[in-house]
Amino acid sequence: MINIEDIVDRITLLEPVPPVAIQLLVLAEDSDSSTSEIADLLMHDPALTANLLKICNSAYLGLSRKVESVREAISFVGLDQIVDLVLLNSVAQNFQNRYDGYGLGEGELWRHAVSSAHIAKILADRYGASQIKHLIFTAALLKDIGKLVLGRYVAFSFEKINILVHSQGYSFNEAEKQIIGMNHEELGAMVAEKWCFSDRMTYIIRNHHLSDPATRDNPETALVYLADIICMMMGVCTGADGLAYRFYADVLNQLDLSVNDLHDVIAEMGERQPSIENLVNLM
Amino acid sequence: MVNSVTHAQAVSLTTAVNLSKMKISSNPVETLVAFSIGSGIGVAIHDSVIGVGGILNIMLPDSTQTSGISAGKSPFMFADTAVPSFIQALYEQGTLPERMKVVIVGGANIVDCNGLFNIGQKNREAVQTFLSQHHLNIHYEDTGGTLSRTLSLEIGSGCSSIRIFGRGELKV
Repeated sequence: MINIEDIVDRITLLEPVPPVAIQLLVLAEDSDSSTSEIADLLMHDPALTANLLKICNSAYLGLSRKVESVREAISFVGLDQIVDLVLLNSVAQNFQNRYDGYGLGEGELWRHAVSSAHIAKILADRYGASQIKHLIFTAALLKDIGKLVLGRYVAFSFEKINILVHSQGYSFNEAEKQIIGMNHEELGAMVAEKWCFSDRMTYIIRNHHLSDPATRDNPETALVYLADIICMMMGVCTGADGLAYRFYADVLNQLDLSVNDLHDVIAEMGERQPSIENLVNLM
Repeated sequence: MVNSVTHAQAVSLTTAVNLSKMKISSNPVETLVAFSIGSGIGVAIHDSVIGVGGILNIMLPDSTQTSGISAGKSPFMFADTAVPSFIQALYEQGTLPERMKVVIVGGANIVDCNGLFNIGQKNREAVQTFLSQHHLNIHYEDTGGTLSRTLSLEIGSGCSSIRIFGRGELKV
């Protein structure tokens, strides 16, 4: 078995999510915060502001005029989308590499993350969880952050993991745990703690495959889980793990969603995929 | 779309066929590719006599079971509307059913003990039904399981290939 401490030590090699993104998420989820407070927060980060204006003035958004300040951006694009764009921009750098252990080429984990986040947002709207949509969006975006570190260890152990998955009925994360000693969601939660994410965010990342039955009652975790499942089924940059994860049908009952609702989400995402591709390529 | 020129005589053209799209070609240097097919189905059809072929990349089995997105808007998203339209478009290029080589790939499923969310299997059954209605036999099929697949079709040779991570490439 691989030394777990060696794996955990490698978390420090990641580029931490900037504190402004974490502060933004707190403000966005706080019903007492104002647009003005969010604008002030963003304006005090020149690099972030520059990137945000670049994205807002790109063909992706197709605005009729150029925006020149954070306040204008919020006014023309809308606060919700500005929050999402800043969060995406804050984490993009880590996800752009290739992760051979998971069979993911350059940028593929990023494409999967962005698509998952958008699916999660659609699900949050359908489920009526729009008040926590930024938390769900961000958690879906970051749920596989453990793969950034674990990928090299999966590569070393791929044959053994593959045998468990394809000959002994293990899911991919169960096989990771069995062979390596930890799986990507546990490691992701360690990254989340190190980067001072909220307890709710850390919980979702740790449990996004719902392996522990007790976590299936938690709506926000269940929504992120479903978003991941749908993204895998759509084949959006699925790698070596493919669709080798478990589906828990009781989650649909908990959320009062049907299989047809999931079909509708897949169809909606199919329509939006070209636009999401443009967004992925902007970051 | 990716163009690559290795030397003066060898020109190749690779065209991606995205989700809910189809592409037909008679360009002998063109290769069509549907990347990373999960629960959807990639259908490659080729008529070697006239050198015409295409790939269809569907996502869902039945347009009547989905609200919000209509088949009129996205005809190649659903098997029930996509397969007949794809075959009709191939006929319009002069292909004949008895000369068509049909390969279907994808239909992977999440690990679901109750089989409730088995879109992959439903997609496969729907594609098979509509191919049968057009009296088309499947020459080669690689469907099911939990792995995503990449399907390509060389228009010049009619050769299809199926790529799966960790298992290499199979040419048919």
